[in-house]
Amino acid sequence: MEPDALVRDYLGRLEAAAWPLPAERRLELVAEVREHIESALAESGQRDEVTTRNVLDRLGAPEEIVAAEAEGMDRRFGAAFIGAQPAALGFRWGASEVAAIAFLTAGSVFLPFIGPLVGLAFAWSSTQWTRRQKWVATLIVVGLLMVPVIALMGARVSVGA
Amino acid sequence: MVPGEARNPLTELRRGVLEYCVLAVVRREESYAFEIVRELAAADELVTSEGTIYPLLSRLRRDRLVTTTWRESESGPPRRYYRITPEGARALEGFTGDWRRFRHAVDKILAPES
Repeated sequence: MEPDALVRDYLGRLEAAAWPLPAERRLELVAEVREHIESALAESGQRDEVTTRNVLDRLGAPEEIVAAEAEGMDRRFGAAFIGAQPAALGFRWGASEVAAIAFLTAGSVFLPFIGPLVGLAFAWSSTQWTRRQKWVATLIVVGLLMVPVIALMGARVSVGA
Repeated sequence: MVPGEARNPLTELRRGVLEYCVLAVVRREESYAFEIVRELAAADELVTSEGTIYPLLSRLRRDRLVTTTWRESESGPPRRYYRITPEGARALEGFTGDWRRFRHAVDKILAPES
C-alpha cells in the first residue's frame, strides 16, 4: 500500500469513528492527528511505507483515540458513546440559554424586532442546543419578522391596484 | 490467577497520571502538541498510543488548565502552543503532593523492608 494511501485510510477511519463528537471537535481532532503525522514524517526525513506504518502504529488505533475523547468528557458525550438515546441526555440551563429564551419570548413583546434578534444571538452562543435546533429557531424568528413586512407590501400592492 | 491479567493495571494508572504529566511539560515551557507528545513518548511506559494525547489536550483546554496561542511556524501551517494557567499550576501542585504520598504508601506495602 502507498504511504499516502495508508495515511488517508487512517484519517478516514478516525473521522468515521469520531461521529459521536460535536462536528467542530471532530474536524479539529482529525486536523490535529493529520498534522501530527506530517510532523512525524517530516522529522524522520522519510516517507516510505515502513516509516509511515510505524508513525501510525505509534499513534494507536483511531477508535482508541476517539475513546480517549469520550473519557472525562461530560455525560452528554460519554452517554452517546455507550449508546444512550440523545433525548435522555441532560440539558443544562446556563446564562446563554435563559437569556435566549427570555429575549425570544418576553423580549419580542417589550423590544419588537431587537428582542428576538438578541435572543437568537444568545441561542447561537449556547453549547446546549444543536446547530440544527439553532437554525430552526433562526428560521422561525426571521419568518415571523417578515410577516409584517410582507403584509405591508401586500397592502401597498392592493392600494396601488 | 494473577491479578490484572485481563486488564493491564498500567493502563489504568497511565489514564490517571498522564494529564498531570502534560501539565508538567507545559509548565516548564510553552510547547506545541507534537513536542509534548515527543517528550512524553521519550519517557518509558508513559504513553502507549500517542494519538490519545490529543483528546487529553482538548480536555485540558476546555477545563482551562492550559491556554493556547497560535503561532506561525517556519515550516508548515501555524501551530497551537500550550501554556499552563494558574488554575493548571494549582491542579498540578495538588497532584504532585497526592502522588508523592500515594507512591510512598504503595512502595511501603510492596516492599516493607526497603
